[in-house]
Amino acid sequence: MTRHDSMVKWGVYALALVPVWFLEGLILSRWRIFGLTPMLLPLAAAAVAVLEGTVGGAGFGVAVGLLSTVVYHGNNAWMIVYLALAGLGAGLLTQYFLRQDLLGCLVCALLTLAGLDGVRMILWMVGGRAPLDAMLRLAGREIGVSMLFAAPVYLLFRWVFRRVPKSTHF
Amino acid sequence: MKDFLRDNGGLLLIIAVLLALIVAVTSALLKGVADPLSNLTNLITTPIRDGVSAVASWGENWYTDLFRQDETRAELEELRRMYADLEEKYRDAQQALEENVSLRNLLGLAQQRRDLDLESAVVTAHGTSNWDSTLTISKGSDAGVALGDCVIDEYGYLVGVIDELGSNWSVVMTVVDSDLEMGGLIARTDGTAILEGDFTLMEQGRLKLSYLPENSELMAGDQVLTSGLSGIYPARLVVGHVEEVRTEASGMTRYAVIAPETDLNGLKQVFVIKSFDIVE
Repeated sequence: MTRHDSMVKWGVYALALVPVWFLEGLILSRWRIFGLTPMLLPLAAAAVAVLEGTVGGAGFGVAVGLLSTVVYHGNNAWMIVYLALAGLGAGLLTQYFLRQDLLGCLVCALLTLAGLDGVRMILWMVGGRAPLDAMLRLAGREIGVSMLFAAPVYLLFRWVFRRVPKSTHF
Repeated sequence: MKDFLRDNGGLLLIIAVLLALIVAVTSALLKGVADPLSNLTNLITTPIRDGVSAVASWGENWYTDLFRQDETRAELEELRRMYADLEEKYRDAQQALEENVSLRNLLGLAQQRRDLDLESAVVTAHGTSNWDSTLTISKGSDAGVALGDCVIDEYGYLVGVIDELGSNWSVVMTVVDSDLEMGGLIARTDGTAILEGDFTLMEQGRLKLSYLPENSELMAGDQVLTSGLSGIYPARLVVGHVEEVRTEASGMTRYAVIAPETDLNGLKQVFVIKSFDIVE
């Protein structure tokens, strides 16, 4: 795959991320589902990692983490590292244990979201900001609502994946 | 003819005067309704008038079509442009009407609270994180907004505090955010306490009033204001009302659950308090 092909591919992935981001940041933050805004950007990172493998997944994870940190409120710099790791992990899982399909993506998405809220809970517990039981309740509901969107997000990126130049998968 | 006039003139004159009198009297008696003579005349002549008018119109149209087509097209285009302009103005007017309502409400507030320097802003987004409660507004440091400035709605109810500042945007930490903490004042008793966000209550859109004054008898519905004692926030901004009083898990202290007066989910326009007079 040439450099040009690579740029086109990641450019198209970036374009596909825009509606996901708009949906999360502008629409579902206003009209919440069961009082919660689903976490769509981490789902996008997981979906691309399942499709593109470890390197692509980690790279896309960095980009999504950067976007989350830059556009959303709060000190979320750790999201860059976390989503890069999550992308890497999802790529590895689909390489060795899971299939590169919807089911594989659902498992990776669930693990990504659980890990994300897990890290957040640890940070909040260290800061003594909230009781564990309340955080667990919120995390459970948040993951549940977010998982409703895992399949549509995966299908969007699979649609892109089938139309962009292919690279070597690890 | 001369003979005729001479021989019959007097009679004709009399007939004319009589007819005039009849018509005048009848008109006066009928009060605006046509007299029988006029009515009969018009009844007969109306079809003729209509016919003539129709022909004249047809002729005029024919002339217009033939010689003034370009002019008509131009006129049509002009009308279309005017229509589009009017539609746009109508949309603007609708928007202005909504803003006007907010500003009228604010005017009432501004007259009551001359100590507040306000900057209007529009709510552009709601926070995406479920772990805090924030709003993004359309004004930032360029408009003189500063970190820690209080944000109120058009009725003067406290919305939150500026927590992150951009040049033309800011993030408001709402009153129910678990990180919020400020002095509170119970309006009925003048007792002071601490208003603070609570993670569990945040989900329900509530906050708590803790460190309640000893022997304070709070009642549901008691209004809670900002105390302004620290000088950081303005005094006497309405935050919410007491919903219920609970005992802490330790069983040692009590706190009140406060329902904010502002509708955090329905906010469109807010006002940032850029400066205020400190109440000692």
